[in-house]
Amino acid sequence: MKRLITILAAALCSTVLFAQEYTGGVTGTVVNRNGRQPVENARLVLMQGATEITSTQTEIDGTFQILDLPNGMYTLVITAPDFLESHVQVTVNDGYVKNMFNLSLTSMEKVAEVDDDTFSAFDMEGSGYNDNPTILFGANDVFNNIAGYNFSSVRFRARGYASESQDVYLAGVRLNDAITGYSPFSLWSGLNEAMRSKETVNGTETSDFGFGGYNGLTNIFGNASNVRKGLRGSVLSNSTLYRLRLMGSYASGMTDKGWAWAVNVSARLGGNDWIDGVYYRSFAYYFAADKKINDANMLSFAIFGTPGERGAQNASTQEVYDLMRDNMYNSNWGYQNGKVRNARVRKTHEPVAFLRYEFKPSDRFQASATVLYRFGKNGYTALDWYDAQDPRPDYYRNLPSYFFDANPDMNRNNMVKYAWANEVWTHSKDFPALTHVDWDRLYNVNRLQEGRSKYAQEERRTDQRDLNFAATFKSRPNRWLTLTGGLDARVNRTEYYKVLADLLGGEYFLNVDSFAERDFGSSEAKIQNDLDYYLSHGSAEKIGVGGKYGYDYYAKMRSAGGWLNGQFAFGNFRAALGGRLGYESFWREGLVRKGLFAGLDQSGREIVVDGVNLTTYDSKGKPVTSFGKSDVCGFLTYAAKAGLTYMFKGNQRIYANMGYFNDAPKFNQAFLSARTRNSLVDNLETIKTISGDLNWQYTDNGLNFRATAFYTLILDQSKVMSAFDDLQNAFSNFAINGIDQRNAGIELGFKVPTYVVSNLFLQGVLAAGRYEYISNPRMTQTVDNSAEVVMENVLVPYWKSSPVYPKDASGNITVSDPGAYEKMQRHYVPSTPQLAASLGLSYNYNYWFIDGDIEYFAESYLDMNPLYRTDYATAGLDNTITPVELEYMTSQEKFDPAFLVNFSIGKSWYIQRQYQLGFSLNVKNLLNNRDVKTGGYEQTRLVDNTVGKERFYRFDPKYFYMSGTNYMLNIYFRF
Amino acid sequence: MKKLLIALSAALALVSCQSLKEEWQPVFTFGDNEPAAFVPVTEQQLMSSYGFTAFTTIKDLKALYRSPGVEIKGNIWIRGQVTSSDRTGNIYRELYIQDETGGIDVKLGKSSLYSEYKVGQWVYVSCGGLTLGSYNGMPQLGMEPDRTSTNEYETSYIDVQAIINEHVFKGAYATPLAPVVADEAAVKAACTRGYQHELWGKLVTIKGLRYGNEIFALLYPNSNLPHKSANPENRVFLSTPQSGPVAGVDYTWGIDTWALSKAGFISILQSGKLDAAEVGSGSTRYGPITGTPRKYLPAGKTLDSFGMDADMTYKEILVKYATANYVSHYFKLGSTDIQVRTSGYAKFADEKLDPAVLAGTATVDITGILTIYDGSAQFTLVDEPSLSVKKN
Repeated sequence: MKRLITILAAALCSTVLFAQEYTGGVTGTVVNRNGRQPVENARLVLMQGATEITSTQTEIDGTFQILDLPNGMYTLVITAPDFLESHVQVTVNDGYVKNMFNLSLTSMEKVAEVDDDTFSAFDMEGSGYNDNPTILFGANDVFNNIAGYNFSSVRFRARGYASESQDVYLAGVRLNDAITGYSPFSLWSGLNEAMRSKETVNGTETSDFGFGGYNGLTNIFGNASNVRKGLRGSVLSNSTLYRLRLMGSYASGMTDKGWAWAVNVSARLGGNDWIDGVYYRSFAYYFAADKKINDANMLSFAIFGTPGERGAQNASTQEVYDLMRDNMYNSNWGYQNGKVRNARVRKTHEPVAFLRYEFKPSDRFQASATVLYRFGKNGYTALDWYDAQDPRPDYYRNLPSYFFDANPDMNRNNMVKYAWANEVWTHSKDFPALTHVDWDRLYNVNRLQEGRSKYAQEERRTDQRDLNFAATFKSRPNRWLTLTGGLDARVNRTEYYKVLADLLGGEYFLNVDSFAERDFGSSEAKIQNDLDYYLSHGSAEKIGVGGKYGYDYYAKMRSAGGWLNGQFAFGNFRAALGGRLGYESFWREGLVRKGLFAGLDQSGREIVVDGVNLTTYDSKGKPVTSFGKSDVCGFLTYAAKAGLTYMFKGNQRIYANMGYFNDAPKFNQAFLSARTRNSLVDNLETIKTISGDLNWQYTDNGLNFRATAFYTLILDQSKVMSAFDDLQNAFSNFAINGIDQRNAGIELGFKVPTYVVSNLFLQGVLAAGRYEYISNPRMTQTVDNSAEVVMENVLVPYWKSSPVYPKDASGNITVSDPGAYEKMQRHYVPSTPQLAASLGLSYNYNYWFIDGDIEYFAESYLDMNPLYRTDYATAGLDNTITPVELEYMTSQEKFDPAFLVNFSIGKSWYIQRQYQLGFSLNVKNLLNNRDVKTGGYEQTRLVDNTVGKERFYRFDPKYFYMSGTNYMLNIYFRF
Repeated sequence: MKKLLIALSAALALVSCQSLKEEWQPVFTFGDNEPAAFVPVTEQQLMSSYGFTAFTTIKDLKALYRSPGVEIKGNIWIRGQVTSSDRTGNIYRELYIQDETGGIDVKLGKSSLYSEYKVGQWVYVSCGGLTLGSYNGMPQLGMEPDRTSTNEYETSYIDVQAIINEHVFKGAYATPLAPVVADEAAVKAACTRGYQHELWGKLVTIKGLRYGNEIFALLYPNSNLPHKSANPENRVFLSTPQSGPVAGVDYTWGIDTWALSKAGFISILQSGKLDAAEVGSGSTRYGPITGTPRKYLPAGKTLDSFGMDADMTYKEILVKYATANYVSHYFKLGSTDIQVRTSGYAKFADEKLDPAVLAGTATVDITGILTIYDGSAQFTLVDEPSLSVKKN
């Protein structure tokens, strides 16, 4: 019946229109003011007075056309999801079709955009774990738009993928870190205005800017003419990271003389309400200029940097959090002269400059070439100490559990000490020097040492020299074919070293290896961090502030490749097919010779000092060396992608993508202990990924849907993690290879009018998946102070799953046979909720917006270490595996689910049609839920000093938590 | 352009203003002043703050000892100057102090104490609540013993920093004490008197010591496995025969270093010098370390505990799980044996004894902390042998 009425109404309208036969009209293109990108599916309603004359929607290229209009004055009301409503006066006269050219929409600033600043800098203590979330950008995707900000508080990773799989391009150059693969957002944090203009594709989709992988691709334009024209200023305050952000920008737009230039500066300052010791003192600058030589040629140049420092947050055990009654406790800081001093401060200044040439001789062909260079310093301070007590306040020997444990096998039963330690930690305000870093003590210990600092603050530097070249083209030889492709090359030299940041009251720090000294104290040469200095000077080097010490090596990487995509259009079908081929190599080049791994001298002879032969050999008979160039690891990389889309009538499409990727491992996954020697991980292989997704998208009349199902296999991954191993009494490295995982799931996103209250929308997203391990990898354990291999290529048999045994009512395991388990519990990819959902209402009227959402997160897991899943750890000291040991040692912790409620409000005012003043206020976690774990890791250590000497116990894991209720207020003014 | 300059100027002015420098929180941003220097506590301050009028001597404190250890009651304070240093690694988690009446081992359960307590520095100890105990006759001041099934000690370490802060106070720096010179008669008298004698725990020099050609060391083939006296299968003694030494016979096992670092231990194992050492203890002797657990041990748990290592020789197991090992060298003072016991973790562990001393052609004067162990005198070297062992 409804359909019949619609048809009749349409017929009636067309009759009326045919009767009139007007020739006037209006056309144009709706674009985003941010970057001038076309806005697809914007709704345009033509009003005359209060009467709606007609309506339409923009096409995929942002164009629209309204014809058959009589002469007259009209108001064109343009609306689009996540843009401010715009009213434009249109006069149609003399029966002409008026071309409005570009009608720009301003994006609704619900909140400041998610960027690197949205997340705490976590201090993972070299554990090898990476807790970085995926940063999703709204673009025109309803899922990303909602999930991008709402899920950021739990460090959500899209589809469960590691963040480094997200390809991030700047000006057409892939900028993921050459050594680690990490996404590079921190390079431009604080430059939101300059970097706002971007394009994003999801999953395995193809892109014009690069080949991309399986976790989407974001290209940030970064050139002057893509910065929003005009003068802008904003003041932002938030309560979780920094108190204040001041930002200013100016962009000229393209002038008549063919110049465009833009600047953006910002300062982020202050502490926050939740994490003591975390502060910002960061600045940012950006300058860019474009020169349009003619319609076909344009040159762009930009340089930017973000000098500054920010305090880092540390993870602690649950015992510490409970004692402090604060899940946001940060053990990194202490008072110095009444001021909060953080021991872990990231200090960076890595300028990036690029020169880009764009060539667009016709609408059918365009090409570009970019040269980009990244340089500068990236430092991270930490406490260092030599032959002195561990200065970390939450060191396990300082905690009550070290003195009493209800388990008699743990041999901890001194209640007096327990009570004292408990008193300290439960009354931390009375014992600030014991529950935080005691800087006064560190200084005073140093002052006792006649110049030699026992404690110092080191700065671990990772300084890159990264030269990139990328050239791309896009050609449309005919209506049904579009070709895109490119070439790229990269030369990277990253120097890893330490410098002394602060001697803490002393005069020098001695450049020796304190770990080595315990085992090889009798050989002074062996404990030298710089043997050549020692041999030429007769003593270890005394390091002053700014001096290099400890380790110093280059990670060098080269890569080159090319890619080609073809996009085909046949009727309602779109198809894409592409491939990539490349070669990547890397090696280590030691710049100092360490006494423990002296290798051979320049003549190829063994190095003997004071009768002690310092040259050691690995199991293959090769000298183990810290100095000089390692073997070069080279990998042929290749990938293929295919996609198929069917466009339905209207704005609906179904599309599928699939891809196969053969990627090189990264430098940080390839060396057993890059800090100390050139030795490579055995069996290093390329990572193979097979990924596919099936999608449905619908956008029409204010309705916005996207549904995706995806399936991905990632095979032959490897990683290296380091930790102090109590059993070896040394700093240990665990190299794991052969990690396979399967990520499968769905993504749903929608935004629909409620039809009850105009301008009120119901919106929501659901991300549900199973991201699980499907292989048992192999592990090799080495230690930093000898060439000895502790465990070589041993199987980690309980990595992908662990046994669960039958239990009685008290929870005691009732079987004694390790094989008599009820089931094998699967183990999951950690550090992201595998079930995340959001449902909310969004109201948007007259430049107001009000959003409210509830969110649910579940199926989140703790990062595992391989040691606990070996036969060695499960068998214990008596070499006997029991069900109790097996289940205890190998299981994976699952985090509790969490509910959150968020609220946002904002408004902007146009003043004299020239200025815009607005604000947005976002309040997260209104329920003040402080028990939401966002991540953490198992300590790679075993408790072995038990009474029974039969089994091992775990060290407590460390966690990160989300902050309670917090706000972000942004006030902006634009000319 | 003008607008831009105004906006930038305003932003810079805001950024540079003092309130932003402080960033709403007193955050340290480098360049701030260093903390004030440590100010030693004075006796007057302690007396007035804690309400006591005089210090108890170490001798009087030791007189309070009752077996198996006694918790000190009341507001009793002792004072003494630091005589020990763990700089060389030969002393671990202990601080020796002494006054004119005696010395005592304060069991401060922290490492690298020399970084915080200088030799010669005055230290004041509030003894109330601490436990005075004995370790095989040696006076020790610590915490109440751990209530565990395996505890063998009358005291435990004072290893909670808050307890240390409550009981141990750092006083002024002073000139290090000169060692007390003891002769054989004094050492014999001290051994006879035992616990209460003033020499124990003091910095002492004994002159004219001659090498005794004996050593003692206890090795654990797999130190991760149980290795108490109930586990002779995991013990190897390097010592004189149970029947006693025979004059003129060398019982040093070829060990000519003060102790065995991990590297030194592996080296001497591989040299074959220890091949004749027997697995077992007391009357339970299995055989030399060239045998395997499977050969020596009965089937069952004892053998199973060696797991995959059961078919390795004990010598190979010793290498596989090698750790640093202490060594006690015997010296003769007249007819009195004095052990010099050195930790394998000492920085001088692999330093060799002078060949002339080993050969018995030279005597030495040794300075160290004199301790008692089951009625015998033991030396613990504080400094490297180059400083504390003087060849005559």
